[in-house]
Amino acid sequence: MQRDVGSLPLSPALRARLLAAGFQTAQELLETGPCGLSKEIGISREEALEALQVVRQECAGDAAKTAGGSGSTRKCTALELLEEEQTQGFIITFCSALDNILGGGVQLTKITEICGAPGVGKTQLCMQLAVDVQIPECFGGVAGEAVFIDTEGSFMVDRAADIATACVRHCQLIAEAHQEEDHLQALETFSLESILSHIYYFRCRDYIELLAQVYLLPDFLSEHSKVRLVVIDGIAFPFRHDFEDLSLRTRLLNGLAQQLIIIANDHKSAVVLTNQMTTRFGQNQSMLVPALGESWGHAATVRLIFHWDNTQRLATLYKSPSQKESTIPYNITVSIPLGMEIQRWEQSFGSTEIVRGRQT
Amino acid sequence: MATKKLRRAKLSQELCERLSRYQITTCQDFLCLSLLELMKVTGESYRNVQKLLRKVSLACAPKMQTAYEMKVRRSINPSAAFLPTSLHSLDKVLHGGIPCGSLTELTSPPGCGKTQFCITMSVLATLPVSMGGLDGAVIYIDTESAFSAERLIEIAGNRFPTYFDSDEKLFCMTRSIHLYRELTCDSVLKRIKSLEEEIISKKIKLIIIDSVASVVRKEFDTKLQGNLAERSNFLARGASLLKYVAEEFSIPELRDHSCQRKKLFFRHKISRGQTNFSYLDESDYHIVEQWPRDPSRPSVSSS
Repeated sequence: MQRDVGSLPLSPALRARLLAAGFQTAQELLETGPCGLSKEIGISREEALEALQVVRQECAGDAAKTAGGSGSTRKCTALELLEEEQTQGFIITFCSALDNILGGGVQLTKITEICGAPGVGKTQLCMQLAVDVQIPECFGGVAGEAVFIDTEGSFMVDRAADIATACVRHCQLIAEAHQEEDHLQALETFSLESILSHIYYFRCRDYIELLAQVYLLPDFLSEHSKVRLVVIDGIAFPFRHDFEDLSLRTRLLNGLAQQLIIIANDHKSAVVLTNQMTTRFGQNQSMLVPALGESWGHAATVRLIFHWDNTQRLATLYKSPSQKESTIPYNITVSIPLGMEIQRWEQSFGSTEIVRGRQT
Repeated sequence: MATKKLRRAKLSQELCERLSRYQITTCQDFLCLSLLELMKVTGESYRNVQKLLRKVSLACAPKMQTAYEMKVRRSINPSAAFLPTSLHSLDKVLHGGIPCGSLTELTSPPGCGKTQFCITMSVLATLPVSMGGLDGAVIYIDTESAFSAERLIEIAGNRFPTYFDSDEKLFCMTRSIHLYRELTCDSVLKRIKSLEEEIISKKIKLIIIDSVASVVRKEFDTKLQGNLAERSNFLARGASLLKYVAEEFSIPELRDHSCQRKKLFFRHKISRGQTNFSYLDESDYHIVEQWPRDPSRPSVSSS
């Protein structure tokens, strides 16, 4: 209530007028009322009413904060956070080694960045995640939907269809092995058509379309509340050419990172970004480093770097607040070899059961 | 979309006039400002500025489609999804042929047959759909002056003798191949920018650029300071324009690179027996999605 008038989110012209008229605290404004205010400052009654509504909302928000209420503040104890994290699901990647180094899979409410040279499998993993996020809960998934923002045009529908078919077949085999009621029920709605219809695809041609889409994303996610994964395939591509003003680029990227963190937290979804690699020239050798510079490295919580070692693909967990840094080999297969994968799937299925302590 | 003027974004006339006083006329200018700056230039409160931001974003943002809708659209017209190369094992590995709607890159050491392949693809594109072609015209951007019309007729006559049985048919085919000789990076970029109108007017179904590396190599010496960034800039701009054109008109595009036997210090995949990778480096490769690297080994992106 004692809030200074200069700090209220009113339009600058109005603020200047209020200060010139001598108003100092929000309490004074509320006491004056709309008619008095409009006469004193020389604005219309509607404008005065609008200003007072803004002031009232801000003060209500402040009061809630000081009283320790919930809402816009995110205050909780570490114990509550622990319980929340344990019941939260992971989005599995169908590669058990990768899931292991990530600690179970791609985490919700966190930003994961995948960097790698071209052709190493970043888009493949993104498509896999967009399918895996839809796995029903009884099979160990999060039963969500996916938003796929593509800036490079590398999303191939046919490949996504192949991945989805393989995933459905897996769940069918699990259901046959276990023969449980909820498994069979879940399978009725888990089909190729339903998986593909819940991948919302946006093709952004330049950085302005990308910025615009991210501004609109909170509204989209409120309408589609089941979305649990947002993939931006190629965050670097629109920003790497046609940018003379590097400080503008840094500012836009930081703004983007902030918005994505808010989206990840508010809507309890995982955000996955793919980044390119660039060459950094050292003294007398050069190395590949993730693109977009050092400051962008702070944006993502978890960073995976995919690279080659002769003909073997390797994934390195480069940055993670909770897992150890390690490197594992992985492969991209046309379709998952059935027998082997069922075993691995059941293993990871079983282990997540233990962690969450649920009854099957 | 970025250059869309604000008045087409459904902002009020007076707001547009006020913004134009600050030189903010396009959606791009608007979206690049921070919230505080926007409050200053529009004179609106915080909440109203957020509403304006959403309005302008709506004008620029892409349309949503579900993956299912994309699949249905492709399955309605399956023959338009690929251009078969008439080399059966290559077509099998590529799952049909050169995909329409995306960029394909072809790279090899000199003398392996890239230009011959491009000439053959030009012939194939002019064939009717029943024979596996696209029944359309071809734009061939030649930077090395390697295109030979006589060779084109020789290939057509020998590969498809039953179809090109008369001179009339051969001339019809040659009339639909539009050749442009571009010798500098700037002119190549200008040509790419003018493609949109040409495609519509001449009913183009295939675009070939032979080769990208030769112009780039001529003009950008990476040992000089600052050239690397400029070169990446040129390539990225060209690639994004080509991608836009390819997706918009659903055309396959073929880019050629000739490569040198130099062992480049940022290349870590050179092995004997396989093609050496081309002059352009890692960061340039992000631009292209599909490339038939080694036909005997299944390429990752085709699966």
